[in-house]
Amino acid sequence: MPLRSTDTGWGALVRAFHWAIALLIVLQAVLGLTMVQLGVTPEKVRVFALHKSIGLGILALVLLRIAWRLSERRPADPAGTPRWQRRAAHLAQLALYVLMVAIPLSGWWFNSAANAPLTWFGMLQVPSLTGGYDPLWKPRALLVHQSLFWLLVAVLSVHVGAALWHHFKQRDDVLRRMLSGKSRGGGG
Amino acid sequence: MKAWIASFAVCALALVAAPALARAWQVDSAHSTLTFTNTYQAVAYTGQFRTFTASIDYDPADLAKAKFDVSVDITSLDTQNSERDSTALGADFFDAAKFPKARFVTTAFRQAANGDVTAAGVLTLRGVSKPVVLTVEFVPHGDAATLDVTAHVKRLDFGIGSGQWSDPAMIGADVAVHGHLTLDAMQH
Ligand code: HEM
Repeated sequence: MPLRSTDTGWGALVRAFHWAIALLIVLQAVLGLTMVQLGVTPEKVRVFALHKSIGLGILALVLLRIAWRLSERRPADPAGTPRWQRRAAHLAQLALYVLMVAIPLSGWWFNSAANAPLTWFGMLQVPSLTGGYDPLWKPRALLVHQSLFWLLVAVLSVHVGAALWHHFKQRDDVLRRMLSGKSRGGGG
Repeated sequence: MKAWIASFAVCALALVAAPALARAWQVDSAHSTLTFTNTYQAVAYTGQFRTFTASIDYDPADLAKAKFDVSVDITSLDTQNSERDSTALGADFFDAAKFPKARFVTTAFRQAANGDVTAAGVLTLRGVSKPVVLTVEFVPHGDAATLDVTAHVKRLDFGIGSGQWSDPAMIGADVAVHGHLTLDAMQH
């Protein structure tokens, strides 16, 4: 299990980043969508704090992931993939990186503009991005956070749909090499 | 002779009356603040009551006649976070609909050997009256003065955020209240 990616498979670190962040994003989406419906109780405050901490964790992981990814090659696309499909796939992946940075940043921005407290799991006090209450930008930041989230849902459906299509219809190694790092025929 | 008696009478009256009038001061609202600090989710924050009135009778040389009577408009609460403010005014906390005003009236002033002045008084907040002690720092400048008072209020003594909100890790138990008043001598 090589740490680094090869021509035929993704390295262990890329796969760990991919699935850990995927899991956290699903958890985070469920938390985000349910917490906003709760009545004002200490429970709600705790769930909000959890959402913020997990979101900041995702941001940190994504930044590390991008730094690592920039130092790596990517495995070759399956032979014979049409040009438009490659471009669409790579564009969607680029959009996912952008959104995975922008969504937590917008949450942090909204939280700062709302002047709400922010710690990372109660251990580390996280500074405000706005230097205090900003009632003018607060609703805009929230709108950005929500809109980017739904954009993420849209891009993810394309991304996940394409992965499943590759696996079940095309029967190629695109999903397998993100799961196990290996292509069936490959020496990866 | 008559004139002499009359002027003697006026002087005598003035002598008798003067000590009874501890020096009365008018609060310059535009330059006075009533702020407090507390913690929320273990992060410190500051709030203020924008509207309050105070009747201040104070002469550092005659503390026996000193008296503060402060009335605070609870609904003027501002912690620079609209969600927190509306929650704080609700029934679990200040219950401003039922108790829109708080009042603090001094009962006795004391000067310690080192010169520090404290004022004992009664704070009526959310329908509960309890003794509270202020530290008093009075600095006269001719016909004007500044008055800085500080008190530590235990929010649970007054039923503010009792029950599910009583956990001090969520909301600090001790609230440091600070009044900074700019005073102008009242003309008689
Ligand atoms: C990948 C990271 C994140 C995702 C996928 C995400 C997703 C969401 C979702 C789906 C909602 C519900 C929106 C709604 O329906 O109104 C939400 C709300 C919220 N998010 Fe995030 N979020 C992320 C990161 C963060 C971060 C890092 C913070 C703060 C530091 C944050 C702060 C908030 C807050 C305060 C709300 C509540 C908005 C309100 O009061 O209506 N989020 N988030």
